[in-house]
Amino acid sequence: MLAIETHALTRRFATGHGVEALDLAVPAGSVYGFLGPNGAGKTTTIRLLLGLLRPDGGQIRLFGQPLTRQAREPLRAVGSMVESPSLYPHLSGYENLEVTRRLLDLPPRRIDEVLRIVDLERDAHRRVRVYSLGMRQRLGIALALLGDPRLLILDEPSNGLDPAGIVELRALLRRMAGELGITVFVSSHLLAEVEQMASHVGVLHQGRLRFQGTPGELRDRYGDPLVIRCTDGDAVCTGLAELGELAQRVDPTTVRVPMPQRPDHEINRWLVTQGHEVHALGRSPRSLETLFFEMTGRDAA
Amino acid sequence: MSALGRALAAEQVKLRHSLAAWMVVLAPMLVVLLSVLQISLSRLHGPSSLSGQEAWLRFASGLFVLWVFLMLPLFVTLQAALLANMEHGPQTWKHLLALPLPRWSHYAAKLFVLAAMVVMATALLALATPLAGWVIMHTQPAFGIAGPAPWRWLAVHASACVAAAGLMIALQAWVAIRWQSFTTSVFVGVAGTVAGFLIGQSARFGPWFPWSMPVQVLARQSNHLMQVVVVGSLGGLLMAGLGLWHFDRSEAG
Repeated sequence: MLAIETHALTRRFATGHGVEALDLAVPAGSVYGFLGPNGAGKTTTIRLLLGLLRPDGGQIRLFGQPLTRQAREPLRAVGSMVESPSLYPHLSGYENLEVTRRLLDLPPRRIDEVLRIVDLERDAHRRVRVYSLGMRQRLGIALALLGDPRLLILDEPSNGLDPAGIVELRALLRRMAGELGITVFVSSHLLAEVEQMASHVGVLHQGRLRFQGTPGELRDRYGDPLVIRCTDGDAVCTGLAELGELAQRVDPTTVRVPMPQRPDHEINRWLVTQGHEVHALGRSPRSLETLFFEMTGRDAA
Repeated sequence: MSALGRALAAEQVKLRHSLAAWMVVLAPMLVVLLSVLQISLSRLHGPSSLSGQEAWLRFASGLFVLWVFLMLPLFVTLQAALLANMEHGPQTWKHLLALPLPRWSHYAAKLFVLAAMVVMATALLALATPLAGWVIMHTQPAFGIAGPAPWRWLAVHASACVAAAGLMIALQAWVAIRWQSFTTSVFVGVAGTVAGFLIGQSARFGPWFPWSMPVQVLARQSNHLMQVVVVGSLGGLLMAGLGLWHFDRSEAG
């Protein structure tokens, strides 16, 4: 069962930005990290998924039900937070939730339940204008959870949070997916964040989906680089080039082979028989971040 | 509960601790207070030649002229801008419009609240008029107010003012919701009020200009009373329909 399914979803803007032929497949129960540099089209995609923008083409299905301008019923299963939390600063946290509770015609106990989930019970009756950024973010998530959604769509939820806030948010989102069984679709440019909680990732670049699958599949596709620690990096690089391997000198004593053509032990044996001093040789697992930068053609630095 | 009912219930919460809610009381009370002070502090030469009932009508008309010429259009302008800015300011449209409610329900609720505020403020003005007259009876007996308050006149003219303001209310709500800028909304309202101040004095154009239609209710020859009541209310309904249609089709709030 797919929580989100889009087919050829397209939306173009006069500025040249937008998204092109997106085929998203977000499995129900997953934590889906939607990655992309700023301006890649993440927020546009999210606005399309929430019916805030009209697509130029393509279809959207939420839990199998088509979402159109007229058919907004599938949104009943969705809780969302787009960019910053949508809060009324002159009202208390409780009153902010009360606005949405009335709109969704929910029982009053739901407010207490979501306040407990985001741990805001103590501050519920303080005005939102005195809330810290982290508290606002948690209240925004409480708002998204109020309608007891099966799918949570969050756009850059860790924006502006300090490291402690980010850890808190990560734990909260893990709990959503784990204990509450909610599908979490979270966009981010904080790749390390997504890596720690996502079961699935989608990489968007210049409006197109470059990859979609599990982080494991992503690594399998690109492989892990072979890292060789040696006495003379330059000589090893030259030697490997003769062997037909594309090697990069990282520093005077470290050489990296991003996509080795031969098994590691063969490369090792060849280097030793050629008289190179090899101190260590092994695979270095790529972080999602490295893969992301390779896919989007940007420097990690 | 219907979608509109739910949206109205939500608007009720949003109005808590807001200036918009206080304005419903403050605006008519300011008009009453200023009128009472002006009459009480003025030096009249001898007792009025008007009968008690005529003095009552003179006083009530004065209050209502101040209301429809200046305070009502400015009140509608500010209230529309405040109600819309509750969503524009903290960017809450993106939350509201992603909920499984028809988009038009949010617009309709704002419009309904604005109209209800005008009804309440005008009703408060009508209810406070007899009280103010009673104060003047004591502070300025020479003004001549005597006998019972003109309840019928107050009820008819207050209702007519509200009906004639229908088009202005619907226009101002559309402007405030359509444009995110508080300044744009306030500028349109202030420009309409100033223009209405001049146009309202013209028997030819006054009955057709949205910001001066309520003024015609109090014109000396009330030939245009029915016209402005019908055009104001029907025009208001038509403009409300257009605004709802436009909002429903637009991408963001």
